[in-house]
Amino acid sequence: MEDIVGGWWDKLVRRAAYRGHPAAAVELESIAAQAPLFFRAMGGDPALVLRSTVGTEHGARRRLLERLAGTGTKVELAWCDSQAFYLPDKLDLYPDAALNRQLYFWLMALAAAPVPPGDWLNRNRAATAACLAAMPGLALVYQRLVAGLLSMRPDPARLPAAEAAVERAIQAALRQPDIEQILPPITQPPLPVPLWLHPEPPTVDQAGAAAQSEAQNPQGKPPDQRSRRRRYRAQRVAQDERKNGMLLVFRAESLFTWDEYVKVNRHTEEDDDNNGEAAAEDMNRLSIAQDADTKSSKLKFDLDLPAAAYDDSPLGPGLKLPEWNWKQQKLVEDHCIIKPMLPRDAHPAALPDRLQPLARRLRRQFQALAPERVRRSGEASGPDIDIDRVIRFMSERMSGVAIAEPALYQAWPPGERSLACLTLADLSLSTESWVGESGRVIDVIRDSLLLFAEALSASGDAFGLYGFSSIRRQEVRLQVLKDFAERYDDNTRGRIIAIRPGYYTRMGAAIRQSSRILLQQPAARRLLLIISDGKPNDLDHYEGRYGIEDTRQAILEARRDGLLPFCVTVDREAGDYLPHLFGHRGYVVVQQAQTLPQVLTRLYAGFTR
Amino acid sequence: MNAPAPAAVAAPFYQAQGDECRLFEAAWQQQLPVLIKGPTGCGKTRFVAHMAARLGLPLITVSCHDDLSAADLVGRHLIGDGQTVWCDGPLTRALRQGGICYLDEVVEARKDTTVVLHPLTDDRRMLPIERTGELLEAPPSFMLVVSYNPGYQHVLKTLKPSTRQRFVAMTFDFPAPDVELAVLLQETGIAESQARQLVTLAGQLRRLTGYDLDESVSTRLLVYAAKLMMSGMSPQLACRTALAEPLSDEADTIAALMAVIDTQFPAR
Repeated sequence: MEDIVGGWWDKLVRRAAYRGHPAAAVELESIAAQAPLFFRAMGGDPALVLRSTVGTEHGARRRLLERLAGTGTKVELAWCDSQAFYLPDKLDLYPDAALNRQLYFWLMALAAAPVPPGDWLNRNRAATAACLAAMPGLALVYQRLVAGLLSMRPDPARLPAAEAAVERAIQAALRQPDIEQILPPITQPPLPVPLWLHPEPPTVDQAGAAAQSEAQNPQGKPPDQRSRRRRYRAQRVAQDERKNGMLLVFRAESLFTWDEYVKVNRHTEEDDDNNGEAAAEDMNRLSIAQDADTKSSKLKFDLDLPAAAYDDSPLGPGLKLPEWNWKQQKLVEDHCIIKPMLPRDAHPAALPDRLQPLARRLRRQFQALAPERVRRSGEASGPDIDIDRVIRFMSERMSGVAIAEPALYQAWPPGERSLACLTLADLSLSTESWVGESGRVIDVIRDSLLLFAEALSASGDAFGLYGFSSIRRQEVRLQVLKDFAERYDDNTRGRIIAIRPGYYTRMGAAIRQSSRILLQQPAARRLLLIISDGKPNDLDHYEGRYGIEDTRQAILEARRDGLLPFCVTVDREAGDYLPHLFGHRGYVVVQQAQTLPQVLTRLYAGFTR
Repeated sequence: MNAPAPAAVAAPFYQAQGDECRLFEAAWQQQLPVLIKGPTGCGKTRFVAHMAARLGLPLITVSCHDDLSAADLVGRHLIGDGQTVWCDGPLTRALRQGGICYLDEVVEARKDTTVVLHPLTDDRRMLPIERTGELLEAPPSFMLVVSYNPGYQHVLKTLKPSTRQRFVAMTFDFPAPDVELAVLLQETGIAESQARQLVTLAGQLRRLTGYDLDESVSTRLLVYAAKLMMSGMSPQLACRTALAEPLSDEADTIAALMAVIDTQFPAR
């Protein structure tokens, strides 16, 4: 009974203490589709992706009710760094949902503005002034936002002198952002300003660390969209060198908080519920230490190279390729070594029976597509008479300048299509993850390659099939499934069937090598089709922005050489970074992996039209 | 194919951005053909019209397309009253009149069609007409101008290098903000504050080209938006109709574009 009443009381007091307006809450998800475009239009860096922030302790004076309920200690503020722009997961500051929505857009405009010099208060004030000057439409919104906010802020007259001075400066900066303010010395942190950016955003390094842990998530079950967007504050700590963790002989909660880093022995079994996630939500800061063991039992990384006997058969010593270093903005020559290899254990095989019906249908469709006959006038022979030419001939003969042997027929000779297509499939370890009933991503990719190859061989166009994975820059593995010169037969089918997932995704090098191969093909149009399941990443610094920028550079090079790069992905988060890599029309996100074969073939038909 | 523009009328308004007018005039005096590259709606056609009027030359414009044959340019025999009549094509007409022949979006034309231009673009400056056996020599005032948009489907459609090499080329881009402002004020008579907002908005939307949008907002679309505003439409609706809707068909993209428009012209 005490528990129940206590629970009621807790709920009641929490609700009474809560400052927001849950009924008018606007979720980040609801504007996620529009946010990147808006951010870019405001002048934000196009390479940044959208993330949600988590609460940080503000340390400001709380109201009595909040102290009673133990709430109101944290605040979620927007900010932006070299990887992403961060917005609160949910906004319910104002009682009007429309105003909360406008607050999102205001924060994005502010985050996209260049950072002016000065202290925290004047930085935000000057950025606000710059936004308002450039965008008169925002002025109206800003007035409403400020009017609402000022009514929620403490009255300086009721505060101690030192705090009152700070509060007056903040309110003056909010009211008149174009007038410079002198920030008085701060004794007690002021109440946060939700209209401004985070005063002390976490640094790049920490964000990068979180990105790495997120990128290497090859577990079967993909985390839901919302938790993937979430970004935690993290700190790097040195790993505790003691061999065994401490043994807790007393009640731990009397001593430690969640987020204090202590090496303890824990069970490594994982349950499916999100206890860990809930705990992370409560933490101010996650501590990340390099450890030999990975916490997730589902991580099955094979970090060392496989023994030669079990590895794929390499073809030659490898080729050196450059890589783009975005921090230095230059191409580092001979940085990567690409190793073409043939899949191990590949035996000639026929097309699996289960794919036969679909393959037959695709072949028929592609045969119809192949000749692409067009009616041509002025043929020496053909099924139809070209009336226009006959009339012209007659009139010319009458005027006395007739040509001796006119070609007066219309015909449909085979179209002169000259197209080469190179398909590059991602075979990194992440393709081992499951996608519902259709199995693993790699199975879908395998089926897609088989069906696509069947269809392409029916169309008569030149095509090559390759797969790639990587282990650092010295070993970018390019699996040769079908060379352009090879025939598509049971040998190549066997190689496709033998593909296995492994290692990482150094996409830039693989694209560069594919471009080189494709450029050697004598064709008027050259299509570079990339099938992937996620972002570029590798064990070294090749993750996050670095990998994306290198890939983008490789794509730009391919495009400059006259190739048509196009990406097909099953990564649902791809909308964040693919426009930056491939441009607006250069990619497609396949919502259901099992439809990949149909999507590929439909795409190809579109390209050849 | 258009009738030649009367030479006596005042030159259509064109706000120069650099030396392009002087360059064009020099090319005309030296009898050099000109190639103009630039995105859709940046003022290529207006520039040529302006220069034709300024130089007092008739202008014949041909909008090129995939079916445009050599005969469409040069001319053909027609049958009438039991006999055939030769009918000049636009190119031949411009040649005879000594005016400017302007081939708009020349990459759209078939490659074999553009080959008929070759003898006109080198020092021979002549056009052989096979069907009539004529060999037309271009008068000194004749000028050939072609234009195309290199950003648009550039991989699939480009000008043959041998054709491109025969022209002196100029690259056009969207005007600088103050020039674009002057264009809007002159073309539509819109209030300066609103014109300034439109130009800032165009700058914001142009940042999206290649990422979220295929094509940039052209100066032409800005003029349309300003004209709609002048006719009494609310600025928001005008921008939606003239800017957001023509740029995209996707609901999310349009919603985001509207959010951008809101930063200049908020819904009251």
